[in-house]
Amino acid sequence: MPARVAMQQISKIYPNGVVANHKVDFAVEKGEIHALVGENGAGKSTLMKLLYGLEQPTHGAIFLEGRRVEIANPQRAIHLGIGMVHQNFMLAPSFTIAENVVLGNEPRKGRLVDHKRAIAITAALSAKFGLQVDPTARIEATPVGMRQRAEILKTLFRGADLLILDEPTAVLTPQETDELFWAVRNLVDQGKTVIFITHKLGEVKEIADRVTVMRHGEVAGRVATREVTEADLARMMVGRAVLLSSYARPAVRGKVVAAVHNLGCIDETGRPVLRNVTFAVHAGEILGVAGVEGNGQSELVEVMAGLRAVATGEIRINGKAVQGASVREMRANGVAHIPEDRLANGVALDASIAENLVVDRYHRPPFTRYGVLWPRSVRQHATALMQQFDIRGAGPGASLRSLSGGNQQKVVAAREFSAAPVLLIAAQPTRGVDIGATEFVHGQLLAKRNAGAAVLLVSADLSEVLRLADRIVVMVKGEIAGILENGPQLTEETLGVYMLGRNRPTP
Amino acid sequence: MVHIKNHKALIEASRAVLVVMIALVIGFVITALVSKEPVRAYAALLTGPLPKVSFAHGVEITNLNRFGNWLEESTTLILLGLAVSLVFGARQFSLGAEGQLLLGALAAAAVAVKMPAPFPLHLLLALGAAGIVGFLWGLIPGLLKAYLAVDEIVCTLMLNVIALQLFDLVLLNWLRDPGASFLGTASFPASVVPPLLIPGTRVSWMLIVMVAAVLGVWFLMARTPFGYALKMVGANRKFAEYGGINARRVIALSMAVSGILAGLAGAHLSLGLLKRLTVSLAPGLGFEGVVVALLARNDPRGVLVTGLFYGYLRTGAQIMERSSDVTREVVLIIQAVIILLVTAERLFPSFQQWRRTRSDGGAIAIDRGLGG
Ligand SMILES: Nc1ncnc2c1ncn2[C@@H]1O[C@H](COP(=O)(O)OP(=O)(O)OP(=O)(O)O)[C@@H](O)[C@H]1O
Ligand SMILES: [Mg+2]
Repeated sequence: MPARVAMQQISKIYPNGVVANHKVDFAVEKGEIHALVGENGAGKSTLMKLLYGLEQPTHGAIFLEGRRVEIANPQRAIHLGIGMVHQNFMLAPSFTIAENVVLGNEPRKGRLVDHKRAIAITAALSAKFGLQVDPTARIEATPVGMRQRAEILKTLFRGADLLILDEPTAVLTPQETDELFWAVRNLVDQGKTVIFITHKLGEVKEIADRVTVMRHGEVAGRVATREVTEADLARMMVGRAVLLSSYARPAVRGKVVAAVHNLGCIDETGRPVLRNVTFAVHAGEILGVAGVEGNGQSELVEVMAGLRAVATGEIRINGKAVQGASVREMRANGVAHIPEDRLANGVALDASIAENLVVDRYHRPPFTRYGVLWPRSVRQHATALMQQFDIRGAGPGASLRSLSGGNQQKVVAAREFSAAPVLLIAAQPTRGVDIGATEFVHGQLLAKRNAGAAVLLVSADLSEVLRLADRIVVMVKGEIAGILENGPQLTEETLGVYMLGRNRPTP
Repeated sequence: MVHIKNHKALIEASRAVLVVMIALVIGFVITALVSKEPVRAYAALLTGPLPKVSFAHGVEITNLNRFGNWLEESTTLILLGLAVSLVFGARQFSLGAEGQLLLGALAAAAVAVKMPAPFPLHLLLALGAAGIVGFLWGLIPGLLKAYLAVDEIVCTLMLNVIALQLFDLVLLNWLRDPGASFLGTASFPASVVPPLLIPGTRVSWMLIVMVAAVLGVWFLMARTPFGYALKMVGANRKFAEYGGINARRVIALSMAVSGILAGLAGAHLSLGLLKRLTVSLAPGLGFEGVVVALLARNDPRGVLVTGLFYGYLRTGAQIMERSSDVTREVVLIIQAVIILLVTAERLFPSFQQWRRTRSDGGAIAIDRGLGG
């Protein structure tokens, strides 16, 4: 039987001259879960965009079930049964899930959209494929996991039987990932085929039947997952052995750098999101913040970065009370911040790499001198950081949009790590970055700690928190459920118990 | 990674030329439909603004006034285009240039009539007054938008109406020359009129002011921290705020600074061209600035080029209307067709991107951003 998809000798050269794919052979059998892995910028998303008709190959041919096809645009791809869920979601934020699912193909009553039927259709699809969503919820008010399920439902509604999921787990909590995997298996049981891009090699072993490894735009190998170990895959991806070990922890805890006392905060709707939060981050320590997402971690980060107003309580940085200070004042006090939603807040996609790298420091020398901005300094600064952080792109003047997803992330990391912070707030810093870069980010966090900075690490990835943090704050419903010393005795299970709030006496 | 030489600039330039050609051909077809002598009429449009040089009796240059018209018109358009490009650069859809222009002209006239002073000082005072009043009239919607989230489109359109009423009120009650047979001020004293650059035209020192404004805005955008902040607010406001930029201040200031330029455009109309102030100064001119800024994609250097292009077209159109059997309405249609095509071409890349996101799942480009 011919393969569901066969891409032969595919090359893709972007108009700016970047060769993203070079003579790639890629094949997926019907009914399999096929993982696609590779470092940031290896060309994974590009290959999938070719398959989905978003870009056209420069050379090469695409066959579907043995038949040669030209996929001129996404409509054609959808017609051919191909659906894609993007690395960066593309839903309309002010629409409901049901409206998004049927968008472009709305059921009509006369000339109007039949909302009742849209909701019924969404609910039916949701039940059939085990992808739970609330059809009437607005996208902007739903958690990422549900947005993603909505994206998948949308492709299914359009009749996709080959699903491309581009880094679907990058934005998910471990629980949500489990749910997604369950749903993906369910899809395959119902005859669908799934292509799955990820940076987490554990996931490849867990869910995929076969895996294609890409390196620098070429295929470095294709293997059945049960025949390889994670370390083998890592070696194929990077071209050298990668250490996936845990890190030694010789922390020397110094004086208190950031002290938070009785912090309270209410959100736009008047709901309390932080209550009586008290903790301290010391110089030379990584304080992990764990918790099921939506329990106040994001708000805590925003408050400490100066992006959200405090209702009650106090924050001191090196003894100086700073609650209510602006972002610029916070940064002047030595706070750096890797934001959780890096694409929405951490970068300007249409600005250049160089411009993105100076947003916190453009007003200081050497960038601004005598009131004048010196583009040359801005450019040199970018060239240096791109080299130091291995950001792969066409050059400092290239727009951020032209970078691969992972390289966009690295721009944020490069800027914040290079800010010489006394307090570094890192929110989900390794979401969506490859193992090489994860290793790098972890190394940087540890280096900052060892150099005497205080690090506040917020992560939904418990293994990351356990690997890096010296102490761990667990948050439940905007309150601190416990502050735990990290050590060999502390396990994900123990953390989990705290995270569900079970150890607390019920009031 | 391999890089291949990119021909993008070349392709883009040739495409622009091609579109202008197509637009001109369509313009000619329309002319041919309505005119008895289409070639002569169309030649008036295309070459009207150029001076005629004849060598019959030594070197003789005629039609210099038409050439002057082109430069005068372009000066106004470029100042307005700069004003609009600043606010659009910050993604503020402010349409207040019209009102700022009116009040700028009014302020310049007030100084001209009521504050006698010796020559260069008088002129500088009048220009300063126009700039300050424009600044303040731009600051109002700026503050409302930035701090109270009032929609800037509605707000600036309302302020335009108020400005027009204020203009009439002040002009008719305080500045009007009661002895004159028309509604307006007396002729301005020579001390406030900018000296001519090209004799036989009305091209004056204001041309230099305009060029300085182009350089100034370019410098502001490319070489100052404020320009950087403005660009980042325009590119992604959340990002700017996350980086420590005070986006509200930037938005308010961008609209106010834009007002300075529109105010100067008003001063050019009253001091440089009319040399007095009359009612119904220049209806709709503020919106021509939008066309110029859009064509230039908000790049101040581009504003210089597109302002000259648009000024040429408008001057040519006026000459065609005066010197042929093509009526005003048809001339306006031809002008609109050309501008529409050229604008479409300039906006096409972003349109293409928009279409791509749209077709890809019918989603709406999330970073649409206008007014946000
Ligand atoms: N639209 C574009 N224009 C120009 N270059 C691009 C464009 N999109 C991607 N590239 C370049 O092509 C290369 C491959 O990018 P691609 O997005 O396919 O990587 P990826 O494997 O998906 O990486 P990641 O894991 O970081 O998402 C990168 O060097 C990137 O800079
Ligand atoms: Mg990608």
